[in-house]
Amino acid sequence: MRDVYVAGIGITTFTRLEYPLSEIAAYASMMALKDAGVTEVDQLYVANMGAPRVNHQTALASAVADTLSLLPAGAAAIENGPASGAAAIKAGFQAVASGLDDVVLVAGVERMREVNNLEATDFIATLTHPLTEYIYGVTLPAHAAMFTRLYMEKYGVTERHLAMVGVKNQNAALNNEWAHLQQEISMEGILDSPEAMTNNPYVAEPLRFFDACPVSDGGAAIILVSKEKAEELGRPLIRLSGIGQATDTHAVFEREEPTDLLAVRKAAEDAFAMAGLTPEDVDVAELHDAFTILEIVESEEVGFFPKGEGHLALEKGETALGGKIPINVGGGLKGRGHPVGATGVAQAWEIVTQLRGDGGKRQVEGARIGLTLNFGGFGNNVVCLTFVRED
Amino acid sequence: MAREIYAYKCRLCDTMHYPFRMVCKGCKQNDFFEFDTVPLPKSGTLLTFTRVYNLPAQYDVATLGLGIVELENGMRMLGQLEIDEPEIGMAVKGSVDVVRKEAYDDYYGMVFTAA
Repeated sequence: MRDVYVAGIGITTFTRLEYPLSEIAAYASMMALKDAGVTEVDQLYVANMGAPRVNHQTALASAVADTLSLLPAGAAAIENGPASGAAAIKAGFQAVASGLDDVVLVAGVERMREVNNLEATDFIATLTHPLTEYIYGVTLPAHAAMFTRLYMEKYGVTERHLAMVGVKNQNAALNNEWAHLQQEISMEGILDSPEAMTNNPYVAEPLRFFDACPVSDGGAAIILVSKEKAEELGRPLIRLSGIGQATDTHAVFEREEPTDLLAVRKAAEDAFAMAGLTPEDVDVAELHDAFTILEIVESEEVGFFPKGEGHLALEKGETALGGKIPINVGGGLKGRGHPVGATGVAQAWEIVTQLRGDGGKRQVEGARIGLTLNFGGFGNNVVCLTFVRED
Repeated sequence: MAREIYAYKCRLCDTMHYPFRMVCKGCKQNDFFEFDTVPLPKSGTLLTFTRVYNLPAQYDVATLGLGIVELENGMRMLGQLEIDEPEIGMAVKGSVDVVRKEAYDDYYGMVFTAA
């Protein structure tokens, strides 16, 4: 198996975008191609969840290939729910590592604001089990809410902890010019003042509005290359060193221990084993905080903290910039936004930015090893990646 | 006749499944449809719950109660709740009723009330 390096990255602003879906993907891809200094690729993978349903478009990768004048490169779209992005990166890794391709473009894109919020919520809910979850009106916030209640009962997580994650990540987004939410929030405004109940109403009890990521449009892209190509291009040598992916039961209620996210645990274990790393080695992490509870739980399941102690580490500031393991310094899904198909690629974009030392105000000093966790379904399809700066 | 929701019991190893699977998760040896249907119990205790305020477009109600129930045979299922003040661990009983309406279809599922 050949080593695989990230030679280029690109991203669009995450917000409401009034451009065709394929152009959003192409814009981020153009930036990544220019960053890497390449004009041709052997293959492109486009990660996306909703094009056929939300945007009335199929065969998206063919459209992106042509828009970028990358013909006759191979092209394929990858739909893997909210973990489409990292699944596409894995496909790109496999293509380069196998020796089949030398240069692969991986783009992630979503344009969810084309439909109203009710339709967007329903679109995401279609990833739940059709006969035992979806027909009941279950949404992803509902799943997260039921999970949160169990976590509160068992480990003493409170609404205050959830709000702390929200404040940390949304305010971190102020240091990221590409992030969707550019509005400072405070504990007083969303929890502690008499107005807080109006500012921050329940979405699905006990989760409130500021516990959930926004509905965003956006695209992100990275270029994966072989070692020879990476050295020829002369960009910082950042190796995609570990990949783990795991699945769990489709119906969430069927899991033996309902507070475990076993696919997160397994994906991280496999990524660390492949990379020859431990959780202690990680300098900066991007976790999938589609809901605030998820950052807390994932920080435990990937091995940064013991099970049930993620909220205690949060209280001590260990997950903030300057802490023991800074998490989501670019805003996470909560602040940067969550165009579902783009998220896994945007997480890699942030980690590569950090490992290059280009993070500006949000830079984690001396970061050389980074981790991304892309969480699909309600934890039934999870991809963990590790990146290492080698030069 | 009262409506039922069924679990699926493997004819080779007796492993119970809900939801349905093509291949038994216990023995992985069954042939096509080698399962017997067994009605799920309708009594149990509430494991966790929520009240949802932003519903998919098909629902013309303001809020919807949802919960996961541990049934008396140890299996679990998700259902709608018609309970004003749910509490973890409370006893509930279910009946099968319409849980989602679409243009030409009614979908039936379990609706739980306080026991």
